[in-house]
Amino acid sequence: MNLYSRRRLRNRVVLLLSVGATVIGLGWLVLILGTLVYQGLSGLSLAVFTEMTPPPGADGGLLNPIIGSLMLTILAVAIGTPIGIMAGTYMAEYGKYAKLTVVVRFINDILLSAPSIVVGLFVYEILVAPMGHFSGWAGAVALALIVIPVVVRTTEDMLLLLPKELRESATSLGLPRAYVIRFVSYRAARAGIITGVLLAIARISGETAPLLFTALNNQFFSTNLNAPISSLPVVIFQFALSPYADWQKLAWIGALIITFAVLALSITARALSASGKSS
Amino acid sequence: MNSIAGISNAAQSPVPTVGGRSTDAAGKLAEKVLIRNLSFYYGDNKALKSINVPLYDRKVTAFIGPSGCGKSTLLRILNRIYSLYPHQRAEGEALLDGRNILDPGQDINLLRARVGMVFQKPTPFPMTIYENIAFGIRLFEKLGRAEIDERVQSALRRAAIWDEVKDKLQANGLSLSGGQQQRLCIARTVALKPEVILLDEPCSALDPISTAKIEELIDELKDDYTIAIVTHNMQQAARVSDYTAFMYLGELVEFDTTSKMFTTPRDRRTQDYITGRFG
Repeated sequence: MNLYSRRRLRNRVVLLLSVGATVIGLGWLVLILGTLVYQGLSGLSLAVFTEMTPPPGADGGLLNPIIGSLMLTILAVAIGTPIGIMAGTYMAEYGKYAKLTVVVRFINDILLSAPSIVVGLFVYEILVAPMGHFSGWAGAVALALIVIPVVVRTTEDMLLLLPKELRESATSLGLPRAYVIRFVSYRAARAGIITGVLLAIARISGETAPLLFTALNNQFFSTNLNAPISSLPVVIFQFALSPYADWQKLAWIGALIITFAVLALSITARALSASGKSS
Repeated sequence: MNSIAGISNAAQSPVPTVGGRSTDAAGKLAEKVLIRNLSFYYGDNKALKSINVPLYDRKVTAFIGPSGCGKSTLLRILNRIYSLYPHQRAEGEALLDGRNILDPGQDINLLRARVGMVFQKPTPFPMTIYENIAFGIRLFEKLGRAEIDERVQSALRRAAIWDEVKDKLQANGLSLSGGQQQRLCIARTVALKPEVILLDEPCSALDPISTAKIEELIDELKDDYTIAIVTHNMQQAARVSDYTAFMYLGELVEFDTTSKMFTTPRDRRTQDYITGRFG
């Protein structure tokens, strides 16, 4: 066997292994999505979006957890995004060479990978226990604590990716630093920062653990953030574990809704970051 | 290596000063910028050693020398862009109309508006061509729409790019070619009506045609502005500049009119560099 046919053979073997690995990796994803669609789609109807979670045996929908999840997510993003962007901006623009930045980056990385149940317990300790009851606020704060490290990280990374000449030439026009950041850095890094926020939303929309100890659940329709509030992940958790077939069905439907919402967000994030690169 | 060793021995010759400059430039030349005993440090590393050199009003001064000789560093002092970075510090004087640029009391943003800078890498801001120019103007002057339109147009005309962009002022600045982007950056600098323009290898990323356009542009701009250009291209220095300074290992070896520097340099190191014996 000469050198070239040996290389060709080795190439084929490696190619086969890589394709195999890809198929195995993607296969599970397809199976998960397939099961979800198969189990969830059949029960999907308008009632799911207009009716409350039912007691076992009755008809109902998922309106209260959908509204609850939306409220919690929006609130968490509203709390977490400004803090995350400002912290990331400090680290990349103002405090690039500061010791504080190194410390914050290290802690942020820990927070980024902290188990979300720890976040839930923490918020239980500082909010739920003193207030004496579970609440939507506590749930939103717990989710915000998960949003912050994701946004800090992407904001910092995206700002650091900008060429230093961009900042230098803006500064050379006599722009104060705040203007350079607002009109030049943020604009140049916008797609990346928005992608980070979308990824954070995707991350929290499936979180169950931090909500179990904070927002708890509510089987009635409620928009009162001062009281326990329903959310999709917690309802899925509760219904899927129940022995009732109709509750289990609703859990599948809820899972389908979350998955496709996250999928849509991810696709949007992808499209945004692609458009940011090409411009 | 032998020739370089010989060169450092020859470095005993006194650093040329303004007074020591040949007097062939008839008439009185106003010194727009006067650099006196200027040293610069990157941390503990002394990058510039007691530089003395003038920039004459409405003349083009070229800085040539091998890589790492400190010519870009010198330019970066003149609008204090170096101060964006820690551990960089300048000592001595760089007088702009008699006032020391390094004086901490200088309004640094105003200084940078007076001393504009264009970098090696074209850096259009991520906004429209029109906004690239108008944005800086608005920051310093309160003007009506019509006046800004006019300023934008005249800046683009001055930078010899008006004809190419007049029909697409609302297009993104990043959609232009490299040469156009660089002229846009020059237009952006010119629009603020600075007094001194610093060009840090403005053509090294450009093709010969774009380079020729920028050289023509420099020739026109010197009617109104004092220009300092750093270049690796000796033909370019010979073509565009009135005065040339040769720098080597952080020292200013020789400064004279460009015609003298390229025909009868006094220092052997200058001669060796210009004739391509090293660097």
